[in-house]
Amino acid sequence: MTGKKKGKLTKVLDYLKHDDPFSKGVAFCPGCSLELLIRFIPQVLGNDIVITGTPSCSAPVLLGQNNQSWHSLSYFGTLMTGAAANATGLARYYRKAGIDNTVICFNGDGTAADIGFGNLAGAAERNEPFIYICYDNEGYMNTGIQKSATTPFGASTTTTPFGSASKGKNLRRMNLALKMAMHKIPYTATATMSDLGDLAKKLLKAKEAKERGFAFLHVFAPCPTGWGYAPENTIEVCRRAVKTNYFPLWEAENGKIRMTKTVKKPKPVSTYTELIKKFAHLNEADLQILQDDVDYEYCMLGGLSVLEAECQLPVSTED
Amino acid sequence: MNTKIKAKAKAGSQIKVITGNAAAAIGAKLARPDVVAAYPITPQTEIIEQISKFHADGEMDCELITVEGENSAMNAVMAASLAGGRVFTATSSWGLVFMYDAVLATAGARAPVVMVNVNRETPGIIAVSSGQQDMISTRDAGWIFLIAENCQEIIDLVIQAYRLAEDYDIQVPVMVHYDGFYLSYLSEVVDVPVQEDVDKFLAVLKDQPERTKLIPGGKLGCGSHGILDGYLELRYKHVSAMERSKAKFEQTDKEFQEIFGRGYGGLIEEYRMDDADVVLVGSGSMCGTIKTVIDKKRDAGVKVGLLKIRMYRPFPSEVMVKALKGKKAIGVVDRSLCFGFKGGPIYTELKAFETQLDGSKMISFIDGIANTDITIANVEQMIDATCDLAEGKDVREVTWVSYPEAQEPDSEKMGGR
Repeated sequence: MTGKKKGKLTKVLDYLKHDDPFSKGVAFCPGCSLELLIRFIPQVLGNDIVITGTPSCSAPVLLGQNNQSWHSLSYFGTLMTGAAANATGLARYYRKAGIDNTVICFNGDGTAADIGFGNLAGAAERNEPFIYICYDNEGYMNTGIQKSATTPFGASTTTTPFGSASKGKNLRRMNLALKMAMHKIPYTATATMSDLGDLAKKLLKAKEAKERGFAFLHVFAPCPTGWGYAPENTIEVCRRAVKTNYFPLWEAENGKIRMTKTVKKPKPVSTYTELIKKFAHLNEADLQILQDDVDYEYCMLGGLSVLEAECQLPVSTED
Repeated sequence: MNTKIKAKAKAGSQIKVITGNAAAAIGAKLARPDVVAAYPITPQTEIIEQISKFHADGEMDCELITVEGENSAMNAVMAASLAGGRVFTATSSWGLVFMYDAVLATAGARAPVVMVNVNRETPGIIAVSSGQQDMISTRDAGWIFLIAENCQEIIDLVIQAYRLAEDYDIQVPVMVHYDGFYLSYLSEVVDVPVQEDVDKFLAVLKDQPERTKLIPGGKLGCGSHGILDGYLELRYKHVSAMERSKAKFEQTDKEFQEIFGRGYGGLIEEYRMDDADVVLVGSGSMCGTIKTVIDKKRDAGVKVGLLKIRMYRPFPSEVMVKALKGKKAIGVVDRSLCFGFKGGPIYTELKAFETQLDGSKMISFIDGIANTDITIANVEQMIDATCDLAEGKDVREVTWVSYPEAQEPDSEKMGGR
């Protein structure tokens, strides 16, 4: 507990000001990034949050069973179809009743990008005063590894299986965070479990931003069970997703995009996919399609941040 | 519809000529909800427009959520209700169906939501027209269902609904139904209650123990996995609360009468039933027409009466059996269909109690589907047929009154092929 290493660790631990409200042993798979995330949030934001969750990977632990619970947070088990509307109802009533609150609408990508996308967009449009966190494990991992809108090109899932006539998902993934930033909501950010200091800062910014309206966090949350990698590699998968720009870390305040971590020399996306079985069947040409998509998304992100700044110029400015 | 307008204003109350939708909106306003979710759909839209105007004019101090769809409307008010708020929303037909998962979840969570449903035909055939098929399609959702006959009853039922939904011993969501088009857009004389009276009527709820509320740091979970005995316990308690709501509604109706000077008889209204030999059973706006025809038939010496259903869920079987027992013949008028059964839904349900009716015979009338008017002539035909049944004549079991081409659905006759 001496030396440089301690100082570095303390920076992240400094953010953990509150108790972990979860039981020490819970019913998540070994190596689950969602468990790390859900324990991390209340330690940073406090235990007086109200958290909502849907039937999903988070449900076995978040929602409890009958009168028993894995944690001591106030929570609401919602429908996938209306998760953001449920959080809206809570936050609006607390505002009406003058009750200080931090409502966290905590959902997987199935709810956020697929079945509950309409009400997520509705809540963003109305600038509802709560924090929406999407933990993105790129499919319906709890239901049995089916494809969702955020499943990337080439991934083999149980509804886009690799076979003699199929290369896995033959469609590109939805860029959910960028869509949300385009709503020009007070705060949008991406984050992952390999960069905890970055995540903690973004959580606190989201809490501050929800006083002005809607805050959205898109957290990359790999799944050893569904993706096919060793449980001990979860953090490494996160790290490589960032280093290849497969999942860049950025934030947007009122639509103004800013990279929170810039990768000087991005590694090829194959250094990320090589860890994961769901991509194992892809050949070089297939991987190039994925690489092109990653490059395109990253380029768009940079381009939009420049364009957004230009559009912010006062009307009177001469050019 | 309101055939007998008693424009006798209670001191301080206002007599207004307003639509059924306006009555619903004013009823909601008088109940002072904390959170209202608004999404338009014909023929309900005028309700949320009026509420939006009340809100814009500072007459209504609520959080108004202009949601992006009905599914979100129900989800938002369910959550706000579980957090402790008084809530209101309104919908119709396709909207009710679009929020169906949340309608079920709201009941399962025992969230005391009050919603108006302006009856309209459901998806299947695009019918922008009246009918109770939407009500029938959601009757097993675990909500309390009330049905209004006229604009006055709409405003009164919306107010009364909160006393049922939020009562500590009940805590079950309430849906107030009324016929779209016939009542939604019909202007009638309405005695609009005074705010102080409504406050007084609803103040009883404040004296009750506080219901469980989902608040920050409160260490409370809503919507856990209920399985095995946990699920059974919650379902049994829900069913029991539904049963308790019958007596509660009777009592609430009496208290309402004490304050507002209007009572409706509770779960059912009996019209000229005492010495009646034959009875029509109906609900909603058709009852105004039926009452008019009954008066005419009575003048001609026909002993006919009406049993109007006001509370449809829970099904008021006890009072219905008591009122119908020993009558010679009963004609049940349904404004909806019961797919898989020949007769209408309410007819089919009442059939379950036939053995308790001491030999009363029953027939089914299907009418008023998709804005086919239930006319005076139609009601006369129904009464005549029911009288024929009473006299032992051979009468068809099911009649589609406005569709004379309809054979009784029958595989041999190949009716409706």
